Amino acid sequence: MKTGDGGVLTTTLEKAMEWGRSNSLWPLTFGLACCAIEMMAIQASDLDISRFGSEIFRNSPRQSDLMIVAGTVTKKMAPRVRRLYDEMPYPKYVIAMGVCVIQGGPYNQGYSVVLGVDKVVPVDVYVPGCPPTPEALTYGIMLLQKKIRNETER
Amino acid sequence: MVEILEESKGKDGRRILKVAKENLIALMANLKDQGFDHLSLITGVDRKDRLEVVYHVHSMKKNEYIVVKTETLDERVPSLTSLYSSANWDEREQYDLMGIIFEGHPNLKRMFLPENWAGHPLRKNYDLQKVQYINMDENGEDYATFDSGDGW
Repeated sequence: MKTGDGGVLTTTLEKAMEWGRSNSLWPLTFGLACCAIEMMAIQASDLDISRFGSEIFRNSPRQSDLMIVAGTVTKKMAPRVRRLYDEMPYPKYVIAMGVCVIQGGPYNQGYSVVLGVDKVVPVDVYVPGCPPTPEALTYGIMLLQKKIRNETER
Repeated sequence: MVEILEESKGKDGRRILKVAKENLIALMANLKDQGFDHLSLITGVDRKDRLEVVYHVHSMKKNEYIVVKTETLDERVPSLTSLYSSANWDEREQYDLMGIIFEGHPNLKRMFLPENWAGHPLRKNYDLQKVQYINMDENGEDYATFDSGDGW
């Protein structure tokens, strides 16, 4: 029942910062291969990651907090991935999307693919699948939010 | 008239002409005069003892394809850049991945891999166990290395 009296919410500054960070994860527009199609779907009206605060895909690494590595990272691309990651301001997070990014996937035996983007940049959340569904990626973003808020996964 | 070694028909209905590499330019010039003005693709096949080069030419007017095949024992094939400008990058790609040397090409450099990459990865005798890595130097140029600590 609403009484109209003012209430008091106690929290720590740290908690407030974590809450703010986790609800404004702006991803970098960064599609490397076919996973990018599924990544685009998460910002469309069906799933709409704006609901979780990931408002818009930024086109500059200097304005984004989250790098969704969506697609096969070739050896030639790896130095560029590293450079983009280095250009992002702290705090920054990385989601490895798809099995190619996690361990090479179908290109595991090949000559041209990096076997896991975690050799290039530190990864926070792995989303497996070939490609992962947009729902899975949305869940990955929610997991990352929980990680930022120091909540344990159920 | 150019001597055709073998003529057959592919599953997709395309005419396949086999020709000696010495007659390749003459045949392609002939086909271009007949209206096959679009060089659709160039691929290479490694037959272990020899290399095969496959050209698909397309006639925009007739919407028809012809496949021209030629073989080489010494990795060398005449370049088609004088006839079709689009052969430039296609031949560079085949040089990069298959190691086919196109004689008379104006700029035969690697297309995708760094210049110092060892070997041509689509060849049968390419050793996948010797893993190579790529890194970028200060000038933004790629280089290949066998040292896993240097590149990715």
